[in-house]
Order: sequence, then C-alpha cells, then structure tokens
Amino acid sequence: MDYGVEQRDQEAVVRLRGRLTFNDHAKLRALIGEMAQNKAKRQVLDLSSLEFVDSAGIGMLLIAREEMVNAGKSLVLRTAAGQVKRVLTVAQIGKIVTIED
Amino acid sequence: MPLASTSALRPARTRFTALHGLAVAADRLAALATALALPVRAADAPEPVLALMDGPAGAGDVEAWERPFAAWIEPDRVGGTGGGSGGATGGVPALPTHLAAPLPVLVERAGASDLYINLTTATANELHLAGRVLTALAERHPLPDDRRNDLELALHEAISNALVHGNLQVDGMKELSAVELERFSHELVARLADPALAHRRVEVAVLLEAGTAVIDVADEGAGFTPTPQDGRGASGRGLDLIATIAESVELCDGGRRIRMRFPL
Repeated sequence: MDYGVEQRDQEAVVRLRGRLTFNDHAKLRALIGEMAQNKAKRQVLDLSSLEFVDSAGIGMLLIAREEMVNAGKSLVLRTAAGQVKRVLTVAQIGKIVTIED
Repeated sequence: MPLASTSALRPARTRFTALHGLAVAADRLAALATALALPVRAADAPEPVLALMDGPAGAGDVEAWERPFAAWIEPDRVGGTGGGSGGATGGVPALPTHLAAPLPVLVERAGASDLYINLTTATANELHLAGRVLTALAERHPLPDDRRNDLELALHEAISNALVHGNLQVDGMKELSAVELERFSHELVARLADPALAHRRVEVAVLLEAGTAVIDVADEGAGFTPTPQDGRGASGRGLDLIATIAESVELCDGGRRIRMRFPL
C-alpha cells in the first residue's frame, strides 16, 4: 500500500493506493502519526484507488479513527469501490466510521 | 477430528508428469528429480507439472501459477535449517505436524489434491499467496470478478491467520490504539526474523468437486480455540468474513487446520 496526503483548507485528504493488509502495519503507523500532527480537523481517507483490504487492514483503519478522535479530529472513509466497498459493508464498518460515497 | 490423516488416505487424483524448478539451482533440481523419479519438465510437457521452489524467487510471475502447474512445494534445504515444527521457540512447544514431511511424502499429498501448496511462512508471506492460489483456481474454474474477490479474501484471511497467529504466534490487535498497532508491528517483524518460526510451513490443499471447492489451510502453530468476538477490537473479523463467504467452515487439528467449502 502507498499513500499521498493532500492538505486542503479544512481537511486533509489521504489517498490510499494498492492493497491494505496486515503487512502494512509500518505504513499505517506512519500515516496515523502524520494525520495526528497535521492541522486539519477533518481527515478524509480516499479509498477509490485501494484495490484490496483485509480484516487487519480494517482493524488498522479503525485504530486510525480512534486515534483521530483522541486527537480531537474526525476521520471519514470516502469512495470505496469493488472489493473494498464489499468488505466494509460485510464487516458493518459503517456502524463505527462515517463512510461517504 | 484428525482430518490430516484422512486427507493422507485420499486416493491419488493428480499424477505429475514432470517437475519444474522455479529459480532452483540446476544441480539441486536434478537431484530432486532423481529422488522423486520424475523427469525435469520439457517445454511441451503435458500437465500436471509439479513446481519446486527455493524461496519466493521465480514464483512472482503469474505464469508460475498457471497451467500446467498444479502443485507448488518448497523442499527443505539439504541439511535443512527449517525443522518446521519449531521446537521450543517462544517457550511454546509446538505439536509435531505433518507439514514438514520429506518431499516424497509431500508430493504424495499433492497427488491427493487438485491444487497443493506447501511453503515456508517467509515465502508464503512474500508471495501474497491467496492471490496466487486464485490464479490457479480460476484457470480450472472461471469465476465472476465478485466471486473471485470473495474467495481471495476468505483464502487470504485463512492464510493470514495461519501465518501470523499460527506459525508466527503473534496475537491480533485487541484494542483500538496506536500502541497496540505498534506492539503487533514489532512482534510481526521480530518473529519473521526468527528462522525457526519463519521456516514453519503453511499448506493449502484444494479439492474441486461438482460445483464446489474445498480448501484446507494448515499451519504448524500452537492451534487455538475460537471465542465469540465482541466486535469492538481491531482484530477478530477474519473468521467472521470467512464464514460469511464460505458455505461451511470447520476447524480441525486443534485449530491448526481450517477447511472451507465454497460453492463455485
């Protein structure tokens, strides 16, 4: 998995690319650190270029969300497609995290 | 439920015509061919062909998972550093398993399956194994994209459980915190760097029956007993995802083997 961060006025948009699995633990740790430190109150994870996510990847997204709440920020997931959208639905992640189309 | 032994007794259904080395040194391949009494594959050899590996090199291309190959085995190195069952590593004595058997025994097991993989943890992790197995499976039974994605996810979850929690004995992320992610991250890196654990084996055996794929994934870890999840932590969704996708799921061998049945 790779990611790029785009700072806008009120929000930071993080675009995730490729496959997000348990092997991406180090990148997620770095990303959570970046999101906690930038100025934006609202952190948007753009999932449109993410091709595959596993249960550990979902767990790490939930950890990111929890850490943002602890830092007084919000986190939303945006534009999931294909397999990623399906897994988020099956695992009922919409009950925990805001998911935007 | 000793399903490992019943699978060993299954009648042969795959007779290999030849073997092929995926980045295996020529002299070593020749010795393995002699030991197995199989010819090294000529360019036009009929299927099924047995692929032998020596680490992930040579198995990264999609062609390595297409026909004519039907089994992929990483033999122990001569004088093997990888005993497989792990001994006393981490203070948790692993039960002896059949996954680290001598190569002729593994080839016999491969012959009792339609697709068979037996690799070390390090190699399987490097290769993103679930996607490779789906390449091989889809060649035998074309699948719509959605179904293929679902099967890949279920298989990936089973293989991840076998590698991370089974062979490497890393606990899942229980709490939703960066501290817990850090603990998981450090443990995973440290255990993968421990040769005794990284050489433990994972086995995937696929049986294709009328309208159904039965896929077994086995590891050499300490086994586990599933407990109900409260749905609030960062881990524990893998088995639930598998159960959603598969028609049935059985845990055997004290949790060291999962058997999933998928309608095709």
